[in-house]
Amino acid sequence: MTNPPDERAAELRALFFETSQELLQALNEETLKLEKNPGDEEIVRSIRRTVHTLKGDSAACGLRELSELAHQFEDALSLEGTAAHVALAEIAFAAADVFAEMIAAYQSGIALPDVQALHQKIRELTASPGARKVRRKKKNIAPDSRKDWSAAEKKAIAEAQKAGFALYEVVVKIDPHCSMPIAARQMIQLAIGSLGRVLVVRPDPSSPAASRQVEFIFASLQAIEQIAAKCHIPTITADVNISLIQAAAAKASADVIRSEATAPAETTAGTPNSTQSSEVISAAPPVAVPPHTAVAEHSASPDLAAPQPSVENILRVEAGRIDNVLNLVGELIIGKSMLQQAMNEFGKRYPKELLRGKFADAMAFQSRVLNDLQRSVMKIRMVPVEQLFRRFPRIVRDVARLCNREVDLELCGQETDLDKGILDAIAEPLTHLVRNAVSHGIEPAEQRRAQGKPPRGKIRLNAYHQGNQVLVEVSDDGRGIDSQMIRNKAIELGMVVAEDAARLSEAESLDLIFRPGFSTAEHITEVSGRGVGMDVVQSVLQRLKATIHVETRLGVGTTFRLKLPLTLAIIKALMFWVEQRLYAIPLNAVSQIARTFESEVHQVDNYEVLQFRNQVLPLLRLGRAPAPHVDRKAQKLFVLVITVGERKYGLIVDSLEGEEELVIKALDDQTFATDLVNGASILGDGKVVLILNLPAVVEHVSRMRPGAAGTTNFGLLLNHADRARLALGAAEGHA
Amino acid sequence: MNRELHIVGFQVGRETYGVPITSLHEIVRVPEITAVPDAPDYLEGVINLRGKIVSVMDLRKRFGDKNATIRKQNRILVVEHSGKLAGLIVDSASEVLKIASENVEAPPAAFQEGGLNCVTGLGKVDGRLIVLLDMTRLLAPGNLTQQNSNAESKNGKTEARAASAR
Repeated sequence: MTNPPDERAAELRALFFETSQELLQALNEETLKLEKNPGDEEIVRSIRRTVHTLKGDSAACGLRELSELAHQFEDALSLEGTAAHVALAEIAFAAADVFAEMIAAYQSGIALPDVQALHQKIRELTASPGARKVRRKKKNIAPDSRKDWSAAEKKAIAEAQKAGFALYEVVVKIDPHCSMPIAARQMIQLAIGSLGRVLVVRPDPSSPAASRQVEFIFASLQAIEQIAAKCHIPTITADVNISLIQAAAAKASADVIRSEATAPAETTAGTPNSTQSSEVISAAPPVAVPPHTAVAEHSASPDLAAPQPSVENILRVEAGRIDNVLNLVGELIIGKSMLQQAMNEFGKRYPKELLRGKFADAMAFQSRVLNDLQRSVMKIRMVPVEQLFRRFPRIVRDVARLCNREVDLELCGQETDLDKGILDAIAEPLTHLVRNAVSHGIEPAEQRRAQGKPPRGKIRLNAYHQGNQVLVEVSDDGRGIDSQMIRNKAIELGMVVAEDAARLSEAESLDLIFRPGFSTAEHITEVSGRGVGMDVVQSVLQRLKATIHVETRLGVGTTFRLKLPLTLAIIKALMFWVEQRLYAIPLNAVSQIARTFESEVHQVDNYEVLQFRNQVLPLLRLGRAPAPHVDRKAQKLFVLVITVGERKYGLIVDSLEGEEELVIKALDDQTFATDLVNGASILGDGKVVLILNLPAVVEHVSRMRPGAAGTTNFGLLLNHADRARLALGAAEGHA
Repeated sequence: MNRELHIVGFQVGRETYGVPITSLHEIVRVPEITAVPDAPDYLEGVINLRGKIVSVMDLRKRFGDKNATIRKQNRILVVEHSGKLAGLIVDSASEVLKIASENVEAPPAAFQEGGLNCVTGLGKVDGRLIVLLDMTRLLAPGNLTQQNSNAESKNGKTEARAASAR
């Protein structure tokens, strides 16, 4: 099938790609349920419903191959006896995977995957003994054999009647010039579906009559002409014919109306208007309403709430648009600090001016509203972690089966909100951690039994807020990580020297698994196997300004804890000067600010350290090295005590500027290859301040091998010009 | 063909270069530049262009003059490159030239292989020679990284020198 050039069709497709992900997710979830309760007819039915929707939607978008496959699968599912088939869950999983691949292929325009294997499996399903052909849907129904309803349809109609809906028969003739009759059909169904509930659709999409007209049995509280107006879509529908089959039971509809008295339109008690209008409808004879006479005598008919109000209240908005709003809010915040600055200057110049108070009030008000605005926009970007967590049952099941483990997955804190961008970014690292937990953390069942553990391992995913951060944990009750083994392996790989390794603390040893290149195939079989691609996990997290922390006890289990920022866009930052340049670091990384003297700084192993409240604090000098000839006692130092990972470091800076809310703007990655800087921000006076990436700064220093001549942990922020100048100065000093 | 090319002429060193006027976003005076650590020396840093962060490269250093300093008549050409803005510091930029397309010659073969493969042609206006540049090629990531590695190795040398001086 060719891609229709029609813009509407493209829109339809985009919509399908979006909704199909949910369908696939539902399919996976249902199949997981089926696997737990094999043979459950109800679950098989719900799987079939999902597949059916997928089929209909894909057909509407002209994705022929997908709809055919889905159709085949649906047919197989509707055979009696299929539900009892042992391999059904397996096949459903395979089908879900193939569907996903196909959709991805459609989306990126690449060749469709080979579906022969699935065809074969489905055929096996249909060929299985006891399979009798019982079609739920009767095909080849003549378009006007109206009263010939199946049992399921009759039941749905009876239910709708009981609920007090009026029943209509809607016959829509599709415009013969419409290029995509199947899509048109779908659109009509969507349009009408927003007014009530579609009970029956005729004819079957695969029948030839489907391209000419479509009939619905439709339950709704809306007036006939509203339905007619909805159905009338230019260039798609030619003629709409609606007749009332069964009027809304007056009493029942009144009940419904009363229960909906909270709707804004229904404020008067007793709602005489509404009751009246429902009477009008029930009194109306089955009439055909031509499409153009939509507004007529029933103008008093109230806008009754649609059956599913929650669906209508959800907007699908492109993430880019929200980002745009967020950007603008960011600009506003810059504007706020500009005003603040101007205000301060004004205050200095005219300290007695009475207007100052008014200005201050107005600004306080403005900043409060601005804060609310910022929070509201952030909230739009927030999505519950559940969106990410729900894919893990399937992953855990697959990996567990592959590795012959028995694993239960527990999900907690699914309602925790997280920035969509962050959520998407951690999907991969989290998947990695979960897979590792199953394959390497959890021991085989026999081994667990031997150790007195329950044979089924347990993996727990948890998410919760803590201060300005969101924590996501992956924990297992498996064998834990042996830090001694990690150290040995690191020495073997030449990543640390033996004597250094001996001095590493438990936490530091565990951090070794995040070093690039730590993973080896040999390692997987020898030890727990953690560390496969862990550096990838680490690098993603670093980009997000997130940290990861490992907690493990041998034989008891391991917990990986991801600390994620609430948002990527705005941070509270501490600003300071180094070499006449302004820099900023996230405020939540700073635990203390201390003043000390140059003479307090000691040298240990070519690194500078500071004795600080019974702790030895490694120092990082961002600027130049201390001048050798000056009296060290007299030189005062600013030290920012920062926490990176679980360790503390001291940053030596020249002077402090203050704290400020900064809107982070990305640097051009292609131009600047450095990872020392996370981004930049614009201050109220138009100055650009760079935001340092602390983990990278620390890593840079620890990677530098201490040379024989003096310290090396300085000068990270010096550029070439500075270095040249300093070298020149030093040379002159010697001379 | 009697088409005219509209070229913005600018000076780097003694030469006049030109880029098609359509490839330029704007020309601004040199504002305060924030240096970025760990960057090659011809990357000056970033500027604030009306609320946008724009990275700035010194074209003079890129073309070999390592001791270029910022003076008053210097300008930044702001170009759009793969959806992002980038700034190029030049000695001065003043004129818009119209060059008839028959007055543009293909660049000599020697230019094609050297580091200056961003030259698209040589234009002649009133006896002057204008080197026409292709901005996208000048800013192509491959070109930059190549320059980067050069700069880094040099950087290493400077450091070594600095260490020995100490």
